[in-house]
Amino acid sequence: MTRDWWKHLLLILGVIIVLVPFYMMVSYSFKSPGEIDRGEGGFFGRQELMVDERCVKLRDPSRNDIAAAVPQFPGLSDSAIRDALVDEAMAECSMRPVVFNYTKAFTEAPLLRYLMNGVIVTASIFLIQVVVALPAAYALAKLKFWGRDAVFALVLFCLLIPVHAIALPLYIMLAKLGLTNTYAALVVPWTISVFGIFLMRQFFMTVPDDLIDAARMDGMGEFTIVWRVMLPTAIPALLAFAIFSVVAHWNDYFWPRMVVTGNRDLFTPPLGLREFKGDGDGSFFGPMMATATVIVTPLIVAFLLAQKRFIEGITLNGMK
Amino acid sequence: MTVIEPSIAGTAAGSSRRRATRERRDAWILTVPALSLMVAILLAPVIIAGLLSFTNYSLGNGGFDWVGTRNYEELFTRSTYEKMFVATLTYVVTVVPISVGLGLGVALLINSLGRFREIYKTIYFLPVMATLLAMAIAWEFMLHPSIGMINRMLEMGCGTFLENVWPFMAHGCAERFPVWLGDKRYAIWVVCFIGIWQGFGFNMVLYLAGLTSVHRELYHAAEMDGAKSAWERFRLVTWPALGPTTVFVVTITCIRAFQVFDTIEAFWPQGGGPNKSTYVMMFAIFEKGVQQNLIGIGSAITMLFLLFVVVLTLIQRWLVEQKVHY
Repeated sequence: MTRDWWKHLLLILGVIIVLVPFYMMVSYSFKSPGEIDRGEGGFFGRQELMVDERCVKLRDPSRNDIAAAVPQFPGLSDSAIRDALVDEAMAECSMRPVVFNYTKAFTEAPLLRYLMNGVIVTASIFLIQVVVALPAAYALAKLKFWGRDAVFALVLFCLLIPVHAIALPLYIMLAKLGLTNTYAALVVPWTISVFGIFLMRQFFMTVPDDLIDAARMDGMGEFTIVWRVMLPTAIPALLAFAIFSVVAHWNDYFWPRMVVTGNRDLFTPPLGLREFKGDGDGSFFGPMMATATVIVTPLIVAFLLAQKRFIEGITLNGMK
Repeated sequence: MTVIEPSIAGTAAGSSRRRATRERRDAWILTVPALSLMVAILLAPVIIAGLLSFTNYSLGNGGFDWVGTRNYEELFTRSTYEKMFVATLTYVVTVVPISVGLGLGVALLINSLGRFREIYKTIYFLPVMATLLAMAIAWEFMLHPSIGMINRMLEMGCGTFLENVWPFMAHGCAERFPVWLGDKRYAIWVVCFIGIWQGFGFNMVLYLAGLTSVHRELYHAAEMDGAKSAWERFRLVTWPALGPTTVFVVTITCIRAFQVFDTIEAFWPQGGGPNKSTYVMMFAIFEKGVQQNLIGIGSAITMLFLLFVVVLTLIQRWLVEQKVHY
């Protein structure tokens, strides 16, 4: 330990640089605009009650409101009633900065909808990838058929092509089919994972033939074998692949940016955050950082809970 | 028994032939969905991009003209595209060695520790997991010229000895500290820094995995042969043993570096940074092809991009097959 102090010193320095943006993001999501401007308040901010100016403005009493409120304030002049009503609005519109930031994050933009889109898109991508890749991987690993080597060569060739690189022609194809600004556009280009086929094929190669022969003896057809016999044996590999796939597509910004324009109902979390930034004036740093925190949190929490599996999953393509 | 045997063998041969036919048919049924998607989603676009790169096509127009190699000529003559190549190469050439080197360095440090290894590993891996776009926005705030944490920290150094020893500091205090993202001298380096910050943890994890496969005995053997210093042991044992890991890490970091987009689009949604100093290829494809509907030129950039990526991967595969451990 004493001999290693300089190593710890270096690593801790690195830790600080790595963590600073996370610290700042979470800290700003707690603070009031004033505290952010002046750079004070420590990590949590002072959490003094603050008044939401916009809320007060919206509740600015009209002539009718004042007339309606006369019975409540007997014997007061109109302007006094007005002041009383404004005070009331101020009281109701004041809240702790942390509450303000996080409610704004969810109310200014349909963040819940964005999160749900993120879940729908990542889940459908993963499910379709499995449905497509698993049977092909089984056939390539365990069945003998004419053309098998050619198909596998094609898989190896396709591993060379990153989908982001061919985004433009894909975008044109989808546009020609009238599919831009649909869920399909977000999902379709990712339905085929050659990497998934390759990975599963390598895994299935290690499954003993006896297992499959026994299943055939029991009268199972090849299709039943894929889903009843091979799928269960592949669960650990599939889990790693799931993490790989979900992390990549939850965080992906480039592809959604290409195919979704303007239609907020289809925004994935990163797109939603991007739009928030686009129309934010200076006072919205707090809510924006709250949005960022909400988007980043699910994966970080999952990662902290199952680090080994995550590291295994993300570095999966290290096994190529 | 002896009478029945041939007939059993006969039906067995027949059924096995029948089974082989059925197996062939089933195998194709199982493969066809994947095969057709592969052709439609991965191969067809490459061909389409290749063809369109020789046209002046744009979406919404009925027809198009073949323009020969004009798009490619434009790529190699216009100054905008020169800036694109400069920005992309600057990014790749900076980010790849530094993030691979840092990944290796941190992996070696962590590997030599007895305690707290897991904690360091977890923390360094966090940026890999986090949504890059969100983190880019966090960095943007930190780099904010007036209320950002970085310039505030630098201001704290004013009036101290730092001003005397560091010209940058003296200059910043006398006038003002850089507008990091708005200054063409700094913009690309800031983007590089964030790229390294985000990616080196990934390399670290791969190197840590590689290090577990280096045999302890090799170090003893090297020591016996007179490799006394830590550096000698690293040069003679660790580095050669990590050869395959390095080949892979360098390739994947390169491919990822070529694909940089999120940070650039988040910082400069219009036009790729101050004086186009951060106009990288992915952003160019997006801007030309999607926003400006200049599909021909966008496709030409796509083809060039694919060429880079394919060449890189082929070099990697070749190195792995040669089992080159430099």
